[in-house]
Amino acid sequence: MSKSDVILKIYTILLLGIIYVPIGVLIVFSFNNSRNRAVFTGFTLENYYRLLADERVWSSFYNSIWVAIVVTIASVFFAILLSYAVTRYDFKGKDILDMLLLIPIIIPEIVEALTLLLFFIIIGIPLSPWTIIIGHIAFDISFAYLVIKARMAGYDPQYEEAARTLGADELKTFFRVTLPILLPGIIAASLIAFVESYDDFIKSYFTRPGGFSTLPVHIWSMASRRGVTVDLNALATIVVIIAIFFAYIRIKMERWM
Amino acid sequence: MSRLEEERKPFHIKILDRIRASKLLKIIVLLAPASIFLAIFFFSPFIIALMYSFNMFKQVVYTYVFVPRISLEYYIRLLDFPGIFVTMQRSFYYAIVTVILTLLLSYPAAYYIGFKLDPKYKSTAVLLFIIPFWVNFLLRTYSMKFVLHDEGLVNTLLMTLGLIKEPIRFLGTDLAVIIVMAYDYMFLMFLPLYGVLEKLDKELLEAAATLGASPYKTFLKVTLPLSSPGIIAGSLLVFIPAVGEFIIPMLVGGVNTTTLGTLIYSFFITVRGEAGWGIGSAAGLIYIIFIMVLSYLYIKLVGAEVQFG
Repeated sequence: MSKSDVILKIYTILLLGIIYVPIGVLIVFSFNNSRNRAVFTGFTLENYYRLLADERVWSSFYNSIWVAIVVTIASVFFAILLSYAVTRYDFKGKDILDMLLLIPIIIPEIVEALTLLLFFIIIGIPLSPWTIIIGHIAFDISFAYLVIKARMAGYDPQYEEAARTLGADELKTFFRVTLPILLPGIIAASLIAFVESYDDFIKSYFTRPGGFSTLPVHIWSMASRRGVTVDLNALATIVVIIAIFFAYIRIKMERWM
Repeated sequence: MSRLEEERKPFHIKILDRIRASKLLKIIVLLAPASIFLAIFFFSPFIIALMYSFNMFKQVVYTYVFVPRISLEYYIRLLDFPGIFVTMQRSFYYAIVTVILTLLLSYPAAYYIGFKLDPKYKSTAVLLFIIPFWVNFLLRTYSMKFVLHDEGLVNTLLMTLGLIKEPIRFLGTDLAVIIVMAYDYMFLMFLPLYGVLEKLDKELLEAAATLGASPYKTFLKVTLPLSSPGIIAGSLLVFIPAVGEFIIPMLVGGVNTTTLGTLIYSFFITVRGEAGWGIGSAAGLIYIIFIMVLSYLYIKLVGAEVQFG
């Protein structure tokens, strides 16, 4: 190993360490007994007790979960139909469709959110949890589509042809052959769609009705106050642990696929 | 099947049969749900926003009606907004500095992991790099408040080492916004860089060395040009969200860190009403057009790169 390689190695290890520091600090301060200072004054579990007794945290957590479940089911359903059409049939405008489906991922979310809000106002649809769900589905279709299409394009259509030869009609073939083969892709897509919705802040914030908050919206209302409040740290610690759990499942999934 | 039997079939079965028989109908049935959904709830809102920004809707009591007129009022009011040019300039400044910082910070690591590290450890190293970025964006940003606070980690460290006497005031300044943007967006630069460097043919470097090039020269003349698609992709991936960022300037910035993003946010959320939404959507559309131009240039540039390689 040359000298420059050693320097590179040390640098990489340092960088990998430093990017964990802010999150580590966040967790450490969730046990701080001083409520609004960035100095560690003593260990306490008080912040967690207060958090778990907070009605708003629970309701926003519950909202995030059910919104994400509805969003996931709808967007994965749409994505399965789309991927099936794109990988099994030839038609005009396929490339354009493929490109159009990338747009919801590329467009900055703030613009997506404001145009959707304006749309609801002009059309006269009152804001409700369903307006949030609609907004989330609009970008989640693309995420789910990319994953499921990749899985669909990656396996041999001969399995389907064999089933057809043996006398199964197209619907039966789809449910008995295609869907089981697609399952890992569908699970991976569901996981990504769920996390994207559960984690979303901008679209939820713009298209939510007054008084309705998801977890990220609640986090924002706490984080955008001046200074620091350790109340949020306890919540953050739990959310971070959930995020790492999701990350772990995602890695397992990738190995499995 | 006799003709009679065919006619006796219930209506919905007839429709299903028709769909089964025609390939075109099948494709339509498969594509329709998502296409209709996205047409209504993704693409048409952009058209509505465009029309709104040109003042083509009028509020009548609680509803909005279409008025056939085109007025640049909202765009003019946006350009008349006090400090608008400073704000735009600041957004660009933040985004460009963030791109440069993330590039400088992640290139050596992407180079080491993609190029020098034992292939056995590569995927683990990449994973270690991206795990922090799976944590919610708001929380990642909020966590930096603790690091940059007057009594925070950085100031405590610098004071303990005796490098400074008074704490450096980070929060509320440009510096804080830039540091946090670099932290939050680094992985968007790292991933494409790693992708390119990992695939780079090592024999090319050996060839350069055999021909007498110094490692320094090999890097400048071979590695760096060949990794430029990654640099361009990463720069774009960082620049697009960075130039419209509103969460970071609002959380760690102050009164002097308004950006294009915070402006759009305040028009829509704080000002509200016809004027707020009109001016806000004018700003949003300018942002979108700018991004489309950039993406187009990117496709042109990288397309040329691919042919070159």
